[in-house]
Amino acid sequence: MVDTIKNTRIYTTWGTKTAKPIQPKTAANIITKAKRPLLVVGSAVLDEEILDRAVSIAKIGVPVAATGHSIKGFVDKGVYARYINVHSLGGYLGDHSWPGLDGKGQYDTIIVLAHKKYYINQVLSGLKNFTNLITISIDKNYLQNATMSFGNLSHESHLEALDELIENLITGKQWRI
Amino acid sequence: MSKLTTGSFSIEELENVQIRIGSIVGVIENKIEEQREIGPTPKPGIVDLRDWDYKLLDRYEPVYTPMCDQCCYCTFGKCDLSGNKEGACGIDMKAHQAREFLLRVITGAAAHAGHGRHLLHYLIKKYGHDHPIDVGPSNLKMPVTQTVTGYRPETLGDLEQVLDYVEEQLTQLLATIHMGQEGAAIDFESKALHGGMIDHVGMEVSDVAQISCLGMPKSDAKAPLAEIGMGCIDSTKPVLLCIGHNVAAVTYIIDYMEEHDFSDKIELCGLCCTAIDMTRYQMDSGGKPSAKIVGSLAKELKMIRSGIPDAIVVDEQCVRADVLREAQKLSIPVITTNDKIMYGLPNRSKDSVDDILKDLVSGKEAGALVLDFNIVGELAPRLAWEMAPIRKKKGITALPDDEEFKELTSKCIQCLACELVCPTNLPISKAMKATSEGDLVPFERLHDKCIGCGRCEQACPKGIPILNVIEKASQKVIREEKGMMRSGRGQISDPEIREEGVNLVLGTTPGVVAMVGCSNYPDGTKDLYTVANEMLKRNYIVVMSGCSAMDLGMYKNDEGKTLYEQYPAKFLKGNLINVGSCVANAHITATAIKVAAIFAKRNVTANFEEIADYVLNRVGAVGVAWGAYSQKASSIGTGCNRLGIPVIVGPHGSKYRRALIGKPYNKDKWTVHDARNGEVMPIAPAPEFLLTTAETIEELMPMLAKSCIRPSDNNMGRMIKLTHYIELSQKYLGVMPDDWHIFVRGETDLPLSKREELLNILETGHGWEIDWKRKKILSGPSMKLDVSAQPTNIQRLCKEA
Ligand code: SF4
Ligand code: SF4
Ligand code: SF4
Repeated sequence: MVDTIKNTRIYTTWGTKTAKPIQPKTAANIITKAKRPLLVVGSAVLDEEILDRAVSIAKIGVPVAATGHSIKGFVDKGVYARYINVHSLGGYLGDHSWPGLDGKGQYDTIIVLAHKKYYINQVLSGLKNFTNLITISIDKNYLQNATMSFGNLSHESHLEALDELIENLITGKQWRI
Repeated sequence: MSKLTTGSFSIEELENVQIRIGSIVGVIENKIEEQREIGPTPKPGIVDLRDWDYKLLDRYEPVYTPMCDQCCYCTFGKCDLSGNKEGACGIDMKAHQAREFLLRVITGAAAHAGHGRHLLHYLIKKYGHDHPIDVGPSNLKMPVTQTVTGYRPETLGDLEQVLDYVEEQLTQLLATIHMGQEGAAIDFESKALHGGMIDHVGMEVSDVAQISCLGMPKSDAKAPLAEIGMGCIDSTKPVLLCIGHNVAAVTYIIDYMEEHDFSDKIELCGLCCTAIDMTRYQMDSGGKPSAKIVGSLAKELKMIRSGIPDAIVVDEQCVRADVLREAQKLSIPVITTNDKIMYGLPNRSKDSVDDILKDLVSGKEAGALVLDFNIVGELAPRLAWEMAPIRKKKGITALPDDEEFKELTSKCIQCLACELVCPTNLPISKAMKATSEGDLVPFERLHDKCIGCGRCEQACPKGIPILNVIEKASQKVIREEKGMMRSGRGQISDPEIREEGVNLVLGTTPGVVAMVGCSNYPDGTKDLYTVANEMLKRNYIVVMSGCSAMDLGMYKNDEGKTLYEQYPAKFLKGNLINVGSCVANAHITATAIKVAAIFAKRNVTANFEEIADYVLNRVGAVGVAWGAYSQKASSIGTGCNRLGIPVIVGPHGSKYRRALIGKPYNKDKWTVHDARNGEVMPIAPAPEFLLTTAETIEELMPMLAKSCIRPSDNNMGRMIKLTHYIELSQKYLGVMPDDWHIFVRGETDLPLSKREELLNILETGHGWEIDWKRKKILSGPSMKLDVSAQPTNIQRLCKEA
């Protein structure tokens, strides 16, 4: 079992509300309970080892918002992934009338992975302050503006943590969109 | 009785008597009235263009991304505004964010306007009120000023009244930041747009004044090439480094050096926009700039730490606050020449050059504040000349020698503290490890991405001077940093617009991509080259300014040529233009205004709303500030926005706290009127945003192509723009864009080579009806195909049905 919270360095200039550090199993539980989760990945997902894990999560049925140029990694992978600009997405997620990427409506739980830390933290700041969405960071850096976040991880423990998360997603209540 | 006017008069029989009337109350209004067609909004105040702003903000909604959950503006606070709570004064998080954005915009605008006022004082003193404005072969000399204020300045003296207006607006806007008062986010937004527009007026005054007086290129496509890069600095000579944005003092240095035969003996170089303007000075009749450019703000600390400069002169704006501290450590004396930066130095403006020189050379004083440019002109070169042998003898540099270098890199304990605080989270610890094992490549790679901020050093528990380590490890690549930049050419001229305007409006020139702003890139300087190269190959007009213009010149093709050497610099498709320093950004908005004035014959005088409406619907231009960090970049971008030009900033730009993004799925927001009869017509969601960010240049490129689509495109134009959008998406994202079909109004909009394939997708994927025999679209598009429609967002401009 990898401990994703022991190394958390809460480096922040943001303010009063900070993400709760979480373990992979807890993250998996929350995602499993979600009605309509969305996995939002950034361009750093194109690292093969991370991409494999993102695809695994998508295969369980979590739709993927592929931001930056990450969509490149999802072509022909047999999963649901759509390109969208992450700043636009941040705006749409606060709008009840947004039909979603697939026309099936708004999401309730946002999972973020493989982003530029300072960039996604800004997008999360918007969601934190102006929406009721649950946001979970499973990135390797602690993301203060998420609702919950892994701590600061080395590349190796990050991979391990993602594997543990995926395992728990699968063995949990078989979750499907 | 004849009317009293401003200007100079001589009185007959009284030799040597000259009377000057500088300003008469109401004179600006009189001048406006004299002109035939005056638009509805001369010298608009905060409320006068509010309707236009509301139209923009209805479609392009603010997206707020706070940098901080709190407000600490007054002593009621701090107030926790998280979750959009209200503070003690009643303001909520949204309105506070809008207020924060407004503050950024007017700070930037004040920086340019303050610069302009300073420059104007000095130029009027030297050249006189009546010195004519000369920007090159144009009748429309100051398009932004004329469109906003209604005023057509002819002389330097006329510019003072324009700045009076700018300063009044900035004061009124700043007053609204005070606690309490405004409670609606949307009105703070409208004020921010006002501030952005005002900024472009201030910038135009600054650049037009210096172009008119300092012999800078005037709409010159053949503006000379200047050397750029740390590698092109000849450190065997005494080196004099100028940093900042206001070239006034530096012109005295250049003149003195020429008059006293120093030009070949002292290496004069510059950082930031002062450097650009040094290469423009007295270049309007050709020649080779004597000054060299080191680069952008990202090179400031690096250049100082190298120990190469023997003396430093600073003026204003993007200059590091620690220049004196850093320079002092290396015995480099600093001369400050502007009251914006004084560094606690004694004011020596009234002392003799010899006295100041003595105190600086002996090391008695670390620097001097000298506001008299005559003194600066002589002092700075003589100082560099005298310091060089002293400093060279001591061999002063901050960079470690080989032994120290080894020691330092092996001290690293891989704690990652540096990476956490590094603005771009660069992989420093890995590079430290590699270096201690003899591999310099990771640091060489990191060198270009490092913006030289020094924050890592503040965090390192082992006290490693990390930036010095990076610089030492990268000596080889630094020596190779040699490029060329075309020095700023100023405005786009009226004849150029006459030639190219039609292609822009119909879309046969796919668009103008203006790459502006600072050096806080997410992934190094090379990205600019990659983007400009791609867009130039596709026949876009690429316009550069400021630090981006410099960084672009750092890269070469296989034949050793920079883009500036490969592409011509006219305002024509596939051309590469550098307009100049930061304040030259006004020429970019001015270009869009000129298209409306010259190609479409619109009256621009005091007619901002109509012109902005024209630009939004017809001029396919997009701004990119890929490394934007400064407040100035936010005001420049916001000024573009109010005029209907969308802007994309790099990922760091999300820290400006707000974007303006449309919702393509909200169909009723995407309509215009047809000015021929007032009818409402649906349009494609283009431009989709006014201000947004992108994560990487791969994401940026298709966004650029899409942002140049406009309702007015004719078939050929739409076809060309769509081709680039689809191709760039396929090339950089690996997929067809999801939304290409919403830009299709009929089969003639489809790229010829792909027409059948695309018709097929429209039929099977989107349920459009196709007549395959005639290869025609029968039904599907949400817009009618009518290229003579006159799209407008302003109902008053429509003829009655
Ligand atoms: S300005 Fe308003 S929100 Fe800010 S500290 Fe004062 S009372 Fe609080
Ligand atoms: S100096 Fe360079 S490496 Fe250090 S924090 Fe700044 S950008 Fe990062
Ligand atoms: S902060 Fe210092 S010791 Fe820690 S990883 Fe960075 S360079 Fe090494």
